Amino acid sequence: MSGKDRIDIFPSRMAQTIMKARLKGAQTGRNLLKKKADALSMRFRQILRKIIETKTLMGEVMREAAFSLAEAKFAAGDFSTTVIQNVNKAQVKVRAKKDNVAGVTLPVFEHYQEGGDSYELTGLARGGEQLAKLKRNYAKAVELLVELASLQTSFVTLDEAIKITNRRVNAIEHVIIPRIERTLSYIITELDEREREEFYRLKKIQEKKKQLKEKSEKEIARRLAELGPMAEPVNLLMEETDEDLLFE
Amino acid sequence: MKNKICCFNVDNGYLEGLVRGFKAVILKRVDYINLAQCETLEDLKLHLQSTDYGNFLANENEDLTVSRIDDKMKEKLFTEFRCLRSHSVQPLSTFLDYITYSYMIDNVILLITGAVHQQPVSELLPRCHPLGNFEQMGAVSIAQNSTELYNAIMVDTPLAQFFQDSLSEMNLDEMNAEILRNKLYKSYLESFHKFCKENGGTTKEIVCPILEFEADRRAFIITVNSFETDLSQDERSQLYPTCGKLNPEELRMLASAEDHEHVKAVADHHSDYKLIFEGSGDSSSDRTLEGRFFEYEVKLNTLAFLNQFHFGLFYAYIKLKEQEIRNIVWIAECIAQRQRSKIDNYIPIF
Repeated sequence: MSGKDRIDIFPSRMAQTIMKARLKGAQTGRNLLKKKADALSMRFRQILRKIIETKTLMGEVMREAAFSLAEAKFAAGDFSTTVIQNVNKAQVKVRAKKDNVAGVTLPVFEHYQEGGDSYELTGLARGGEQLAKLKRNYAKAVELLVELASLQTSFVTLDEAIKITNRRVNAIEHVIIPRIERTLSYIITELDEREREEFYRLKKIQEKKKQLKEKSEKEIARRLAELGPMAEPVNLLMEETDEDLLFE
Repeated sequence: MKNKICCFNVDNGYLEGLVRGFKAVILKRVDYINLAQCETLEDLKLHLQSTDYGNFLANENEDLTVSRIDDKMKEKLFTEFRCLRSHSVQPLSTFLDYITYSYMIDNVILLITGAVHQQPVSELLPRCHPLGNFEQMGAVSIAQNSTELYNAIMVDTPLAQFFQDSLSEMNLDEMNAEILRNKLYKSYLESFHKFCKENGGTTKEIVCPILEFEADRRAFIITVNSFETDLSQDERSQLYPTCGKLNPEELRMLASAEDHEHVKAVADHHSDYKLIFEGSGDSSSDRTLEGRFFEYEVKLNTLAFLNQFHFGLFYAYIKLKEQEIRNIVWIAECIAQRQRSKIDNYIPIF
C-alpha cells in the first residue's frame, strides 16, 4: 500500500488553514459518498429480491407456455410452418428508458405493442381457442422476459456503481484523510518547534543582554573605584549659587 | 344402381382386408393407460414396441424427442397409405385421392405464402405434409403473381376445381392465406360430398354423415373463433361449407351470431350438436369444445367399421390413425414436460 507519507508543503500557518479546510472537505465528501453507497446498496437488494421472484415466476410461466403449445398442437395440428411464414414485423417492441438512482442512471426496458395481431386468423378452422390461449401465455412470457432483462441490466450497472463508490469511500477514509492528518500534524509539530526555537532564541538573547549589562556595570564600577574619590561633576541643578550669574 | 356389393371384392377386397388389419392394431384403451403410466420417453418407446409400431424407433441413436416420434409415426401412416393407394383402382382411387386433397390444400397454402415471402422452395418442400404431395409443387414458387399461378400451375392439379369458387371474386394476393385455405377447404368438402353421393350405396350412407358433420363442425368452429377477430359476417358466411346438416337458414343465423350463446342456440336445433355444446360454455370443463368435436368424429369413424363393402373404411382408418398419432404425441409431450395432470386428455378410440 502507499507509504506513510504526507503532502510536501512548506509548514506555515497558511498551510495549516489550508490543510484544515481540505480535511473538512475530505470528511464531508466521504460522508456523502457513504450515503450514496448506502442508497445504492438498498436499491441493489431490492432489485435482487425482485430478480429472484421474477425468475421463479419465469420458470412457471415458460413451463405453462410450453404446455399450452403442446395442447395447441394437439388440437390444431402442425401450424408451426404457417406461423413462421407469416412473420414480418415485430408486434411486441421494447423501449429503453433511463431511471436515476442516487446519481446512477439505470436502463429500464418497457415493452409495447405495435401493429395488429397478424395471426388473428390462424387456427380459424381448428384449434382457435388453444391458439388464443397459447398466444396469451407466450405474450405473458415475453413481458416477464423484458422485465427480467431490465432488472438484470440494472443489477449489473448498480453492482459496478456500488463497487466504484465503495472503493472511493475506502480510498478517502484510509488514504486521503490519514495523509492530510499526517500533513496537518507535521505542520503543527513544525510550527511548535519553530515557536520553541524562537522562544529559546529570545531567552538566549535576554540572557546574553543581561550578561552584557552586568559586565558593563562591573566595568563602570571598577573604573569609578580606580579614579578614587572623584568630584563628581557639577550638578547644575543642585548648585545654589552660580558665579556666572551677574544679577540675582 | 350397379350391384355394388357383389362386385366389391373383385376390385377392393384385398385392400379392405388390409385396412381391417390396420384397424385391428389401433391402440386400445389399455394401451393408452399403459403409455400414460410411463415415466420417460424411453419407457414410451418400450411400450410402443409391443404394439404394431414395433421397432419403428429402433434406429434412433440420438436423444428421443417428441418431434422424432411424431415424424416416425407419420412416416408409417404415409407408407401404409401409399401401399393402399398404389393397389387401388377406380373408383376407390378417386376416393383415396379425395382424402389427400385436404393435405394438398395445406401444402399449397404453405407454398403460396412461401412464394409471397420469397422463400426458397427447397426449404418449404420438406415441411409439406407427405400425404399431400403433387407434381407441380416445386413450380408454385416460380409464379410471379396469382393469375400466372392459377393459369400455369394450378390448372393441372386436381385442386383446380376448388380454386374456381374463390378466384372469381378477388385477387389471390390480397386474400389472407387463412381465408384462402378455408375457402378451398369448403369447395373441397362440397365436392367430396357430391362424389360420395353420386357413388351411392353403403359408401354414401357411411361417408356422407361424416362429411356433413365435418362441414357443420367447421361452421361452428369458424364462428366461435372469429368472435375476437376482424372477420366480417359476409366473409364468415363465405367460409361455411353448405353440405352439412345445418340448413341455409341456420347458417345465416350462425353468420350473424355475436357470442357463444347465439351459437349454442343454433346448435340446439339438432340433438347431437346440442349434446356437444352442453356444458362447453364454461371453460372449466375438462374437455374443450374442440375436444368434444374430436370425440364425436372418432365415434362416427368407428361406426364405419361395422359395415362392409364400402369406401368409408379407408377414410375412417386414416382419420383414426391421425387421432392416434395425436394422442401418442400428446402423451409423449406430457411426459417430456412433466405435466402429468392433463395426460388423460387424449381421446380413446376403441
